[in-house]
Formats: sequence, structure tokens, C-alpha cells
Amino acid sequence: MDDKRLFVNTTPGNRFLDKLTGKTKVRTFLILIVLLIATWDIRVILPFFILSWIALISLKPDWKKVWGVMAFVVVMNLFNLFLVWVVRPDYGLSICGASTVIFKFTDFYIITSETLWYFMVRFLKLLGTFTISLTFIQCITPSEMAAGLYSCKVPYKVCTIFSIAFRYIPDISRDFHSIKISMQMRGMELDSEKTSLWTRLKQNVLILVPLIITSFDRVGNIANGMDLRGYGKNKTRTYYAEHEEGPGDKKMKVVYMLFFAIMVFVIIWRVFFPGEYEVWCPWVS
Amino acid sequence: MKTPVIEFKDFSFRYKSQTEETLHDINLTIYEGEKVLLLGSSGSGKTTLGNCVNGLIPFSFPGEIKGSCKICGKETQEESIFAISSSVGTVQQDTDAQFVGLSVGEDIAFSLENDAVPRTEMLPKVAGAARVVGMEEFLGELPYSLSGGQKQKVALAGILHNNVKILLFDEPLAALDPAMGMAAVDLIDQVYKAQEKTVLIIEHRLEDVLYRHVDRIILMHEGRILMDTTPDELLSSDILKEKGIREPLYISALKHTGIRFSEKEHLEDIEELDYEKYKGPLQQAFHNVKIERREPEGEILLNVKNVDFFYGEHQVLKDVSFSVRKGERISIVGKNGAGKSTIARLICGIIRPKSGEVQLKGQNYMKMSIREIGRMVGYVMQNPNQMIVKDMIRDEVELAMKLNGFTEGVEERSEEVLKMCGLYAMRNWPVSVLSYGQKKRITIASILILKPEVIILDEPTAGQDYKHYTEIMNFLEGLNRDYNITILFITHDMHLAIEYTDRSIVFADGECIADGPVYSVLSNDDIIRRANLKKTSLVTLAEHTGLNPETFIYNFIETERKARQNG
Repeated sequence: MDDKRLFVNTTPGNRFLDKLTGKTKVRTFLILIVLLIATWDIRVILPFFILSWIALISLKPDWKKVWGVMAFVVVMNLFNLFLVWVVRPDYGLSICGASTVIFKFTDFYIITSETLWYFMVRFLKLLGTFTISLTFIQCITPSEMAAGLYSCKVPYKVCTIFSIAFRYIPDISRDFHSIKISMQMRGMELDSEKTSLWTRLKQNVLILVPLIITSFDRVGNIANGMDLRGYGKNKTRTYYAEHEEGPGDKKMKVVYMLFFAIMVFVIIWRVFFPGEYEVWCPWVS
Repeated sequence: MKTPVIEFKDFSFRYKSQTEETLHDINLTIYEGEKVLLLGSSGSGKTTLGNCVNGLIPFSFPGEIKGSCKICGKETQEESIFAISSSVGTVQQDTDAQFVGLSVGEDIAFSLENDAVPRTEMLPKVAGAARVVGMEEFLGELPYSLSGGQKQKVALAGILHNNVKILLFDEPLAALDPAMGMAAVDLIDQVYKAQEKTVLIIEHRLEDVLYRHVDRIILMHEGRILMDTTPDELLSSDILKEKGIREPLYISALKHTGIRFSEKEHLEDIEELDYEKYKGPLQQAFHNVKIERREPEGEILLNVKNVDFFYGEHQVLKDVSFSVRKGERISIVGKNGAGKSTIARLICGIIRPKSGEVQLKGQNYMKMSIREIGRMVGYVMQNPNQMIVKDMIRDEVELAMKLNGFTEGVEERSEEVLKMCGLYAMRNWPVSVLSYGQKKRITIASILILKPEVIILDEPTAGQDYKHYTEIMNFLEGLNRDYNITILFITHDMHLAIEYTDRSIVFADGECIADGPVYSVLSNDDIIRRANLKKTSLVTLAEHTGLNPETFIYNFIETERKARQNG
């Protein structure tokens, strides 16, 4: 009834990215993530950053929710960068190889254009990774994810953890909710204005006890149910949620193979031709 | 000569964690194409026997087996659970836990997926199985939007495409309301006939299962097979009540007349009874007592006035009004989703009315917090495991007082409550050693300690057999009688309403469609139909013998209550 909607899709949508198979989605995602993690070069990061936004926009997600998490991630990242600056204001020197001072608070607390540049690259990189993950989560169902991972040779017992977890999270949150209510009726005050944070934390732990016990009961039943329907019988498995590849998948295959090539190139470049400095900066070198 | 599909020979089983055998000397043969009911109270070993058939014993529950158990001619101990599951399909009791897929289609396909069937072959099989159970329109639905009955249909579909020989239903009615239960029994019968399967049903709700014919009933008690006979013979004997099984109401009514059943009496199907023979005795036994309406006189504790409530756009309560007086015993009945639980949540202040008013002792409760309301209204949830948070019984019972900031008199009060609930002797025991029914008592005790005026119990007897059911209900009856505590039962168990409450409030589609004495509400055909409840067999009996259903039920209740008080 009042189940809170998760940020996860449970029914497949009908846009281009939605209609791809789990295999295509998972592969594209993994390649892009590795690629973005591997590079510090704005010439690689920027195109993928833009691409990830196009992909996210194409899904027409629930922007209210997206802005919520996005704002959180942005704020956390900016805070993180600020902390880096507090500890090493001249970080750009070690990472870009130059130090052009723009502003000077004290001799130690300076702002250099290289540090700012590094911060921007790092910010785009992290935000890009996040946008890609968000797009991925928005366009995939947990079952497709399990199927996709399975196609990447992940053992299916590992894949099942994903789909089963998502299947039962709403049930558990409902249990939590009803336990909380029964405790409130017995006199537990959870109103944030009337009790201290510490007391509320302790009380929430109290709620966890019955939650864990009921969840354990459930886990036993689930396991039996799966055994009875032959789970674990064979070494291989097929997926109902993994539909046949469509024309979109063939196109995407070309695209992700291209991404793969870029990824391999980036990694090889970094391993065999490491520059003197980590981050490429247009006005240094 | 029929071929045996399930054969137990001198079979005994002991769980690894236990010192005593759960099953003793089981000798049982079930033949191909039979429909058999395995009947027994909880702890009788019926579920254990079922687990021996589907292979969970010994594969998931290890233990010591003596004797032999053959499924389709093969000794189960020498097979794997997977080999057994290709001949035995099991529908489990917990409809939620066995729904592992994220959609209906996916769940039906689960065993096919495990068999690595290519998706192109999978789709028509899934669609076909869904059609058999009438779920073909719902293939894309999520489990969260399905009712218990629909989940059960999905579970059945999930084993049908496997071409299993034996269908095993473990307490299929436990999670369903009466109308859904009837539909489930009917569906099992249809599948049994159309697909020529062997069907084994494990249940304790005899009357509901007998809605459709079964060939044989096997009665279990304390790990042994007590009787292996036809429904007619079992019903005419007096063994059921002794072994903690509820007799069908119409059989109880017939027995009250003192009729002697002959050996070949047809009792299984209520439509086919020998009414000529019973008419006279029934009229004699239940005719003469006049209905005495007892009007409740206590002060009004709770007053619900013209309440509307919405979940989003969806209206779940429409103009609901009723009031509750001190000392009443009320059943709030209706099918699942009719608004029963919503009304309970409303009374507890978990949700508040959109329009209209709820008064507690004459005061509008809008300004009270849930905690404050909790001092007046106690709410006992269906599953005691969801309520118990402490390790020791005494701590659990005292918790509510401590949470409410009482420091003095806690011990005296808790001792008083523990005595009221018959738990005093166990006050220093850990909670974990208690049975389900005892845990239920603790949850009631932990509510009673705050001296609420009203207790609301959500399905107090769900999933319990007749013996434990009677125990809990008699306990609650005592609380009401001796301490004048007002009790509201939220239930879809018609038996409970008839036997233990005086007044019934019936809900259908968020509306309160009836409010009155139990015997007149539940004998009203129109209300029963509108609320999608099950007509009790007493009404059917009355109709066939020309008795007035209302007086008949009234008299029946009186007779039963007298018998209970004397015995």
C-alpha cells in the first residue's frame, strides 16, 4: 500500500536503452566504468561525460529523484575537493607539473590554475561515472542485470544474489515499517523533536531484532522453495528476462566494441607511455 | 491394478537437532490419480511427511531415516532433490517466500530457467501454464501488486509445466481469505481433473478442503497415521475433536441433535446430505429458543464518525461510522483488501482520517500522538515474531511501561499481567523456547500492561490449528469476561466470528455494509455475497431443512457456548 518506490526499475521501459538486452547493458556499463576509472585525460573524459548525460536524458527519468541524488553527489564531491585543497593547496604542481598562482591567501593557502584544472578533471570524471551508473540503474531491471552478469561469465549463483535482493527489499522494508508502528504504539517515541538522536538510534536497533528474526525465517523458506524448483541443478542456466537481441543490440554492439577499443588503448597508453605527470594540462607540457 | 506413486514402508524420521522421532512407523501407499488429504494439527508431523515426499527431507533437513520411502518406485534417499522435484511439484505455504521472480512470468519460468531451457521454448510453456491457472493477463505484473491467492496461482503454474506426476500442496489455505480459499480448492480440483495428476493436500482446515471431493483422508497425530479412510467415515466418527481438528460446522450441528450416523452415511458433500432424515431432529434441537437481543450497555469508548480515507487517489474508506462500547467483542470481517486493516490502522492513529472524526472516550484524537493513543488502544499484530524485541519474557512484557517512562510499580503490574495471561510461571524464561501460541500470549501481555481500554487483534488465529486456536480464543474470552476488556478481532475466519464475538462489522470495498449481531449478519445472504465472504455451512443446512438461518445460527451459538462453558 504505502510501499516506497525504490530508485530501481522493476518493469522494463520502452525507450531505446530500455529495450536492449541485459547482456548489452551490462557490457556497455562495465566497459565505460573501467574506461573512466582508467583515464585522467580530459580529452577522453569530456566526450563520455556528455554522452552519459545524453543517455540519461534520453531515458526521461523522474527528474525530481535524479536531482536529489545528483545534488547530494555534487555537494559531497565539492566538499571532498575542498578538503584536498585544505591539506595540499598546491596539489596541481605534483600532478600537472606547474604552479601558476592566481590568488594568495597566505604563503601556504594559494589557488593555482593547475590545481583548479585538476579539480575540474576529477569532478567531471566522478560525476561522469556517477551519471553512467545512474543511467544504467534507470534502464535495467534486476533480472536483466543478473542475466547480463551471467553472460559475462559471472557464476549464476552470484547473479541470483542481485535479483533476489531486489525482490525482497520491499518486503523487508514493509516489515520494518509495521514493526516500527507496533513499537510506537507500545510507547516508543520516534519523533525527532521529542527524543535525542542517540535514543532514536538505540530504539531503531531494537526494531532490528524482530526484523532480523522474521527475515531469517523467510530466507529458509525461500531457499527451500528454490531447491524444490531445481535451483542449482545444472551448471548453466537461462533467463526468462533476457529477450532475443534486437536491431538496437546489434548497433550497440558496434558502439561498445568501439568503447572497448578506446579503453584498451587508454590502458595500454598509461601502462607503456606514462607521462611525467598524471593529468594532462593544455598549457603545461 | 493401480500403480503406487508414493510408498512409505515402516518409515521413521528423526531431525538431526532433535532427540525424538518426529515420524513413527509410517505405512502409507498413495496410488496414481488419487486425491488425498493429509490432515493433522500442528506438530502432528504432516508437514514433515510432506517434506519426505518432496525431498526436502533428507536433502535440506538432515536427519535419521529408518525404513523406506519410494516416490514413483525410487527410494528418495538414493536420489537427489532435483530428481525428486521432477516428479513432485510443491506449492508451499508461504506464498511470498516462494515467489522468487521479479514478475509473474519470471516466477513461473523459474524451474525452466534452472533446467536451462532456451527462452524460445520457455515462452509458450509459461504462457500455457499461466492460462491453466487463469493468470495469463498478469505475466508482467510485479509480486507486490498481487493478492495471496494470485501468488498461489503463480506458484501452481510454476510447477505445472514441468509435467510432474504428483502435486503437493502444503497448507494452501493458510494465507487466503474464505472466498479465495474456496477458489483455490476449486482450482486444485480443476487441475487435478484436467491434468490427471496425483494430488496430496496438507491442511488442517477440513471443512474448506471438503468444498471439493477428496478420495481419501489420512489423519495424523503425534507423528503417526491414526486413520486412513474416506471422508464420510471420518466425519461420522468422533475422532476429529479429540485430535485437535475442527469439525465442519454442519457436522457439529448434526451431532448436537444426537443423531446416530449409519456406516454408509453420506456426509462429505453438504448438498448431498440425507435431509429427510435430519430435518426432524434439527428442527427439534434448534427451533424453540427465542432470540434474546443483548444490547451492550457500557460507556462508548470509540466512536468513528463518517470517516473517509485515501491512499493517493484511491479511496479505501468511504463514509465509515460505528461505535464501540466497553466490554464488547466485535469481529471486523471482510475479504482481503476490503479495508479491514485500514480501519485498524486508523483507530490506532497510524493513519488519520481525511474527513470525518475518530473519538476516543469522547475526545477527538487528531492531536494525540500514536504513543498517546497506544495508552488507550492496544494493537496486536498477526505475527508475534514481528513484535517481540527482548530476550526474556519479563523484559518483553515490561518494555511498554519502561518506554512510557514508568519507574514505579512496573514489577507489580507486570506480575499481574503475567498472571492474567498464565505466563507467571515462565516469567524468567527466554522467549526463544516458546511456541508460536505462547509468543502470541506474550505479545498480548505486553500490550495489556498499559491497561488499554480496547485491544485490536489482527488475525489472532491465522496459521494455527484448532487446538491452539481454541486455546488463544478461550484465553481472550476470559480476558473479556473477567476483566471487561473490549476486544476487536480483525478476521476473515467466519468460525471465529460466530463462536467468539457478539457483534460483526462487515466491510466491502471500503464501505461498512453491515453492523449487527453476528447471527443475523452472517445469516444474511445479501451481505455475505456483497462482502465476498463464504456462506457458512450452517446457513446451507438451515436452507435445506427449512429452518430460519438467523434463529438456527443463534441457537447453534448458544448450544456451543454452553457446551464450552461446561466442558
